[in-house]
Amino acid sequence: MFQGLTFEPFKLPAETEALREQVRGFLAQEMPATLLPNSDFGSGESPDFSKKLAARGWVGMTWPKAYGGGERSFLERYVVTEELLAAGAPVSAHWIADRQSGPLLLKFGTEAQRQRFLPKIAAGECFFSIGMSEPDSGSDLASIRTSAVKTDGGWLLNGSKIWTSGAHQNHYMVTLVRTEPPSENRHAGMSQLIVPLKDDKVTVRGIKNLAGNEDFNQVFFDDVFIPDELLVGKPGAGWEQVMSELGYERSGPERFLSAFRVLVEFVRELGQGASEAQLALVGRLSAQLVTLRRMSISVAGMLEAGGIPATEAALVKELGNRYERLLPEVVRLSANGALSPRFMDTLNQCILHAPSFTLRGGTREILRGVIARGLGLR
Amino acid sequence: MKDERRLIADTLARLLTDQCPATVVEAAEAGDWPESLWRSLTETGLTLAGIKADLGGGGGEPRDSLLVMREAAKFAAPLPLAEHFMAAYLLQQTGQALPAACATVAVGDFRLEGSAVTGEAAEVPFARCCSHVLLLASSPSGSQLCLVPRQALEVEQRNNLAGEARDKVKAAGAKAEQLVQAPQEVQGQIRLLGAATRTVMMSGALEAVLELAVEYALERKQFGRAIAKFQAIQQQLAILAGEVAAATMAAQSVEAAFAALDEVEIAIGKSRVGEAVAQATDIAHQVHGAMGYTREHPLNQLTRRLWAWRDEYGAEPYWQQLVGRALTEGGADQLWQKVTARS
Repeated sequence: MFQGLTFEPFKLPAETEALREQVRGFLAQEMPATLLPNSDFGSGESPDFSKKLAARGWVGMTWPKAYGGGERSFLERYVVTEELLAAGAPVSAHWIADRQSGPLLLKFGTEAQRQRFLPKIAAGECFFSIGMSEPDSGSDLASIRTSAVKTDGGWLLNGSKIWTSGAHQNHYMVTLVRTEPPSENRHAGMSQLIVPLKDDKVTVRGIKNLAGNEDFNQVFFDDVFIPDELLVGKPGAGWEQVMSELGYERSGPERFLSAFRVLVEFVRELGQGASEAQLALVGRLSAQLVTLRRMSISVAGMLEAGGIPATEAALVKELGNRYERLLPEVVRLSANGALSPRFMDTLNQCILHAPSFTLRGGTREILRGVIARGLGLR
Repeated sequence: MKDERRLIADTLARLLTDQCPATVVEAAEAGDWPESLWRSLTETGLTLAGIKADLGGGGGEPRDSLLVMREAAKFAAPLPLAEHFMAAYLLQQTGQALPAACATVAVGDFRLEGSAVTGEAAEVPFARCCSHVLLLASSPSGSQLCLVPRQALEVEQRNNLAGEARDKVKAAGAKAEQLVQAPQEVQGQIRLLGAATRTVMMSGALEAVLELAVEYALERKQFGRAIAKFQAIQQQLAILAGEVAAATMAAQSVEAAFAALDEVEIAIGKSRVGEAVAQATDIAHQVHGAMGYTREHPLNQLTRRLWAWRDEYGAEPYWQQLVGRALTEGGADQLWQKVTARS
C-alpha cells in the first residue's frame, strides 16, 4: 500500500468517554432552544455559547494551564468538537481561535503573545479570523500581494483579504502578508501578523453569501501600523508556519459532519414508516460516516503521536467533503410525503451552504493534488 | 500490523507472486484447477489460518484467515480460500475438524433422511474443484451440517462474471460422511462469514487496482509525457485513492469484529466496500484506456472479481438496510450515539 494511504485503526482512549458524557450533559442544558441545530461549523455564531463552553474548560483545552488551557489531550479535544458539531451547536465564534490561532501562537508565538492572547481565547472572550485569500489569490496562496513594510517599531500594512469568516465579529485576524517582494522562491518572504480588526485603519465590509447571510467579509488595510510584537514567528517564515497547521485543519470532524443534521432530521421524519429503500439510504450514509470518522480518528491518533500525516489529512477532507455534498442530495431524493418545516429548513440550509464545504480549507482540486503527490504522481 | 500478521502477508505474497501469475488465473477461468497452488498453500497451513491447531488448523486468531483472503485477492487467486475456511469454522464451532483436502459451503434447500441428503443449491463456490461440500440440511431433529464428498453429488458447472466456479450442486440421496447438529442461527452465520470474506477480498483487490492504475499512469506516455503528469489523471487517481483508503479502513474494522461476528460491523464493511467498487473500477479502467479493456491485461482479473464479489452474500442494499435498522433503532436523537458507539 502507498505511504500516506494507510489508516491504522485507532481507538479513542477510555477516559474520553466520560468526557463525552459531560459534553452531552452540557449540550442538553445549554443548546439555545431557539436555534435550529446546524452541524456546519461556520454557520452558528454565539459568543454567549462560546463563553459557557470556555467556562467548562473546553476552549483551548489542550494548551498549558499557564495559558488558561486544560492540558487535555488532542484526542479529548477531538471528542468535544465532534460532540458539538453533531449536536449542531453554535461554535463559529471561538472555532478558529481554538483550532488554529491558539495552537499557532503556542508553536511560533512569543511568550508575550501567548500570555496576552491565549488566556482570553481560552476564556471564550477573544475570537480570531484567518486572513489568507485575496481578491487575486485563492488556491494560489503564494501569489498574495498584501504587504507589510518595515517601519520604526513595527510594520505598515496595506492591501486586502477576502472570504474572511467572522471578521465583522472577531477581534483579531492572523494575516499572511508579504514582507519581502516575490522572488524566485515563491514561498519565501511571507510573514504572519496579528491584525486588530477594530483598528481605525482596518475596514471590514461584509459580503453576502448566496444564502443571504453575511458570514464572510472583505477586509481592507490602509496604512495599518502593526507593532513588532504582533509579528508571529519569524519574518519570512509565514508559508512554512501556515503549512504546518494543515493536518489539524483538514482531518477534523468538521470536514465530514457539516451535513449531519440533515441525516438526523431525515431519520426523525421517517419515524416508524421508513421504506426499505429509505432504511438502506440511512444505512449507506451511516456506513460512510462511521468509516470516515474512523479515518479521521486514525489521523488524530497520528497527530497525537507527533506525526505529520499530510496526505492522510487531505484524504479525510476530500472524502469527507464529498460525503457532505452527497448527503443532502440523496436525502432530498428519498424524502417524500408531508415534510415538516424543521426538516425542510435543515435540508435547505445545508443545500445553500454546501458549495462552501468543498472550497474552505483547501478546495477539492487542491486536496486531490496533495493526494496525487502522496501517490507519487507529481 | 503485528509481526505475525506481517509474516503471513509476506509469506503469501512471495508464494503467490511465484505461483499465481495472471496466466494461472486465466487458466483457472478456462477450467484448469490450480491443484499444485492449492497444495502449496495447504502445506504452509495458511488455508486454515485462524482455525485451532488441535482441529487441524493453522492456529492464530480467526481474523488471520481474512488477512490470507485479502492478500490472495490482490492476485485474484482462483481458490476457495473463503469457503474452505468457512467450512472449517462452522465445524470447529461444534468441536469437529474438517477432514477434507478442499471444501466449500453450499447454501440451498436440502433435507436429510438418515445419512442421505437430497436437494440442491445454486452458486456454490468452486464446488467442482473441492473434495467435499459442507451443506445445511433440514431433518426432523433440526438443521444438520453435513459433509458430503463431491463425488456423491451432481455438479452442474456455472461461473460468476469473474469466471470463478459458482456451480449448481444437486444431491439425490447422497451419503454424508459427517453429520453434526447445526448451531442455531447457522444460516445467518454463513451469510455473515461470507460477507466478511468478500469485504476483505474486495479491499485487497481494490488496493491492487490502485497500484496498477498508478503504475500504469507513471509508465504510459502521451503528448510527450507520462499521463500521471496531467492534472485530469491526477485528480481521478486521487478520488480512486480515497475510495480505496476508505475501503481498507472499513475492511480493517470487519477484521477486528470478525471474532465476535458482529453483524452491524460486517454490514457496515460490506456496504462501504461494495459501494467503493463502482467508482474505483470506473476510474482504474479509464486511466488504463483500451489496454485495460483487453483480456490480456491483468486489471480485468481484479475488476471482474470486484463486480462479482460485491453481489455475493448480499449486495449493498441488503446490508445497508441492516445498518439503517440498527442505527435508527433509538430514533433520530440516538443516531449519533449509535455512531460513536462504533469507534
